[in-house]
Amino acid sequence: MFQHSALRYTALILLAVGAFAQAVTAGYFGLEVLTEILLLAMLVLALDMVAGFGGMVSLCHGALMGVGAYAYAILTTKAGLAPPVALGGSIAVTGAAAWVIGAIGARAHGIYFIMATLAFGQMAYSYVFEAPFFGGDDGMGGIPRIDLSLIGLDLNDSRSFALFCLALLGAAYGAAVLILRSGLGRSLTGVMHNEQRMRALGLTVWRVKADVFGLSGMIAGLAGALAAQHVMYISPGLLAWTVSGEALVVVILGGLGTLVGPMIGAAAFVILKHEVSNVTSHWHLVVGVLLIAVVMSRANGLFGWIEARWGARLERRLSDMTRKSDAEEITTDA
Amino acid sequence: MLDLTSVASGYGETQVLHGLSLRAEQGRVLAVLGRNGAGKSTTLKTIMGLLPTREGTITLDGQPMGKTSYDIARMGIAYVPETRDIFPSLSVRENLEITAKRFGDSDSPWTMARVLDLFPRLGERMNNGGTQLSGGEQQMLAIARALLMNPRLLILDEPTEGLAPIIVKLIHDKLMELKHEGLSMILVEQNFGFATSLADDVVVVSKGQVVWTGDADAIRADENAQHRWLGV
Repeated sequence: MFQHSALRYTALILLAVGAFAQAVTAGYFGLEVLTEILLLAMLVLALDMVAGFGGMVSLCHGALMGVGAYAYAILTTKAGLAPPVALGGSIAVTGAAAWVIGAIGARAHGIYFIMATLAFGQMAYSYVFEAPFFGGDDGMGGIPRIDLSLIGLDLNDSRSFALFCLALLGAAYGAAVLILRSGLGRSLTGVMHNEQRMRALGLTVWRVKADVFGLSGMIAGLAGALAAQHVMYISPGLLAWTVSGEALVVVILGGLGTLVGPMIGAAAFVILKHEVSNVTSHWHLVVGVLLIAVVMSRANGLFGWIEARWGARLERRLSDMTRKSDAEEITTDA
Repeated sequence: MLDLTSVASGYGETQVLHGLSLRAEQGRVLAVLGRNGAGKSTTLKTIMGLLPTREGTITLDGQPMGKTSYDIARMGIAYVPETRDIFPSLSVRENLEITAKRFGDSDSPWTMARVLDLFPRLGERMNNGGTQLSGGEQQMLAIARALLMNPRLLILDEPTEGLAPIIVKLIHDKLMELKHEGLSMILVEQNFGFATSLADDVVVVSKGQVVWTGDADAIRADENAQHRWLGV
């Protein structure tokens, strides 16, 4: 089951403080990069839930994010719903779509599951690309952001929007942790270890997979609805399999099955992309070399490498500090 | 209670059971004995739906068995495999809760408190991970997890495999307690003394068929059968 080690708490705090400081101090470009990181972090968080804790490596999470974005765009621009209602609606629509994909794909494993999710993603991409209702390959524009002027926030301001995304990423992370620590999350862990045994223990395995895939889809849908608001324009490219592939690369780069790792991976990926693309247009090559290095190092991504290097040391130091403080207390009492 | 009639089963193209028939009675312990490779574990896996029944029938109280291990578990059959299959990244508590929350309520005969009463050692290890347990503790956890399914029939595959003698005795005593409470059990076991001291009925399996049937006293007295079929 998912547990927070001292290092994970430390990494989370550092990430949150770093993102908040950037949101408060950065200029326009810095805020755009930060928002890009936060949205990618939300997507890879959703993917890590199913891939890292359920063994369901999905190549349709990009498409799910796209479903969330399109659902939000249609509910606001065509159905005329208020943005907060449309946000809830787009999360629900994406969750339902993901649940159906999870239920259908539940019997497939390994490469077959990956291929099934890829097929679902490509079906969604092709349909949206061809359908005039969705704007075809021109996409859809004029997507409004949520109005939070009642609480004094103007989300049309990049800084406020970045802070809004940060708050929602925090909420999504909390939801992911709660799900993974619940009975459903424990069952998912059991299914990943030994699906046959879980079935013999009377568990409805397909239902567990579908439920967690649906919940993960809701987080991807939230990321999509925010991405639509961020650029205020969406195109079918958002559903392309390359988006899912990129998310998978980020999860592996950061550390599969750690939740914190993929978020670090998202930050590293986006920063690397922007910094290296200033020097050369072949930034994919650099990311590729880094990914190969991470895989060859046999560490579980960047965070796995950090955990292997400093995790045990930090735990030891904390336990020494606790012992010392206990000893001081006993001495004082004596 | 459980009837296997002329069952054929196996792995892939290899057939292991060749028309095996046996009966497990309500409230009694049936030991399935035999040499290595005789088909004992294959029999249990076939009962549990982990291997397909190619020929013959398996019924529980006259009703055909479910097709999948899920259906069979829901019919009230709990299985403790030889490999124990403890979930390594879940704690003892979480391993138990997986079945407790699915099958148990306050009226169920087996609750979390009761299995911890049966295996107090698990109570001391509730927050330990599955991989931090000794072999004996893992076996206790596997049995406790199965009991929390509140089964009508408990099936155990080699429960003493790889355990120290003192733990074998402890497991024996606990299973004896379950027997005295009237729980129906099927036990596959290499340890002749362990199996026959616990069982009411015995079947001996050889080359995928039942070659000897009788009660535990009879097999203990039948040195010829012991020598011929079990190499004791």
